[in-house]
Amino acid sequence: MAQGSGVRRHARLFGLYFSQYAKARLEYRADFFSAVIASFLGTAASFAFLLIVFSRVPAVRGWKFEEMVFLYGFSLIPVGIFNVFSWNLWMFADRYLIEGRFDRVLLRPVSSVFQVLFESFRLESIESIVTGIVAVLWASRRLRLSFDFGDVLLFTIWATAGGVIYIAIFLGLTATSFWIEDRIGISPPVFNLMQFGRYPLTIYDAWVRFALSFVIPFAFASFYPTARFLHRIEFGKEFWAVPLVAAISLSIALALWKSGVARYHSTGS
Amino acid sequence: MTEPIVRVSGLTKVFRSYRREEGLAAALKSLVRRVQTEIAAVSDVTFVIEPGEMVGYIGANGAGKSTTIKMLTGILTPTSGEIVCNGFVPDRDRTRYVATIGVVFGQRTQLWWDIAVVESFKLLKEIYGVSDEDYRRRMALFDTVLGINAYLHQPVRKLSLGERMRCDLAASLIHRPPLLFLDEPTIGLDIVAKANVREFLQEINRKEGTTVLLTTHDLSDIETLCRRVIVIDHGRLLFDGPLASLRDRILPVTSVVFDVKRAPEAVELRFNGLQAREIASHRYAVDIDRRAISAASAVKEIVNRFEVTDLMIEEPQIEEVVKRIYREGIA
Repeated sequence: MAQGSGVRRHARLFGLYFSQYAKARLEYRADFFSAVIASFLGTAASFAFLLIVFSRVPAVRGWKFEEMVFLYGFSLIPVGIFNVFSWNLWMFADRYLIEGRFDRVLLRPVSSVFQVLFESFRLESIESIVTGIVAVLWASRRLRLSFDFGDVLLFTIWATAGGVIYIAIFLGLTATSFWIEDRIGISPPVFNLMQFGRYPLTIYDAWVRFALSFVIPFAFASFYPTARFLHRIEFGKEFWAVPLVAAISLSIALALWKSGVARYHSTGS
Repeated sequence: MTEPIVRVSGLTKVFRSYRREEGLAAALKSLVRRVQTEIAAVSDVTFVIEPGEMVGYIGANGAGKSTTIKMLTGILTPTSGEIVCNGFVPDRDRTRYVATIGVVFGQRTQLWWDIAVVESFKLLKEIYGVSDEDYRRRMALFDTVLGINAYLHQPVRKLSLGERMRCDLAASLIHRPPLLFLDEPTIGLDIVAKANVREFLQEINRKEGTTVLLTTHDLSDIETLCRRVIVIDHGRLLFDGPLASLRDRILPVTSVVFDVKRAPEAVELRFNGLQAREIASHRYAVDIDRRAISAASAVKEIVNRFEVTDLMIEEPQIEEVVKRIYREGIA
């Protein structure tokens, strides 16, 4: 059976899955737009929090308000990418393992990770990407940062790598459902820590910094990628390591997933 | 001799689970030492299937049928033993292997629940890399034999069980697989839908030489479709051979159940070599051996002797067949 080359075939399948989902989602337009607005209000609330903190303290350990906006705005982009693409993982244990949809996934000649990730999306989280870009542009103007073409390219790749890091961490955590049979799993408590990586790392104690970099590398998804753009040269090494961390996290997650699938024991019938 | 399309040897699947004991003390103890229980769902099963065969895989509930199918389709990894299907080791070469098989689980649809059936088919067309030309021809065939065009534009969740099963069958064959696995394909279907599904399977088998392995609870599926039957019980292979030699074990199990107005005396329950047994108040059953007496003459006897208010013929049950194989062996 002819199946085209790997990457092209998967790109085409991704397009199909996505358009299929988008079609179903946009059938109820009002519902979709209110979800976008709700998502935006959530983003706005977190910015309001930043604003309140800064109205009390003019600079947090050497960070100007605009720099914080740049950092937080940047972090919205990988977080948005993460939310758009990994939404289905929240339901994985429940829908796929306990309800048994995973059988069907395994019966198709497509990678199981690909299918589980892309059978559903969270389209309204595109809002967070857009808001993030707007915030970054605003902060850059205020900070008189200039971007040439190379910077824009770096920015795009680094933001995407950040999204990949979040997705990889979540994927790895979700893969543990193959061992721990539980509806909720261990992801939510870990993901509550995600916020920490979205503030300047320098405000934390050394052990927190270490944990956010090398235990659960949230800092590589949002703090380190901004270091170069904000001229924080002390984090230069970490900045260039971002794509590598993304690749390593993804490899670990995929390996975990693969050995989880081999352990899968389906539901009885 | 052609190479067998399915080769299974020494296939075993053991499920491990930890027994949970009651009470706090036991729960604490289990933190230190957990009591592990092992259940062999399938043990040491060996068989081969030649291309073009239609084989019935039967057994009581929990006998290990579904577990076997799930290992054959690459969903479950065997604990030990070997499987080679279409030249692949299912759990090892999963993605390449499943492109060469079709699978239908009667209890659960393989289609996307919320989108129109035709959209599911289009996705499957891409997933399996079916050409436009082949796709068109395939869909035309499915419509002729299964009449699926009538509900192609409905989402799966709005279809009746029979309609859904037709769509699932079509979906499993869209890429013209040489090997088809069916787990309870007629479960819950009415008589018309059942006949329709069976005809379709016969046609696919005849025209395309598709090899079929099916599990079922309905022995008439087996009688119409399969020349060969494999019986499994408690995970072990109990019988593997032509249906003809099993037929003698299946037919005798028919029983006639009838209700009466007035409860008969004990002596009246024995007549013409038949024995009625009471199964509920005013309800009796007569097991008949169809090698000796037809169902029709048994019914005539019963109606003549008793004041019957209701009567039904119970089809042979797989559980009963399995029991008989144990009791009488296979000739």
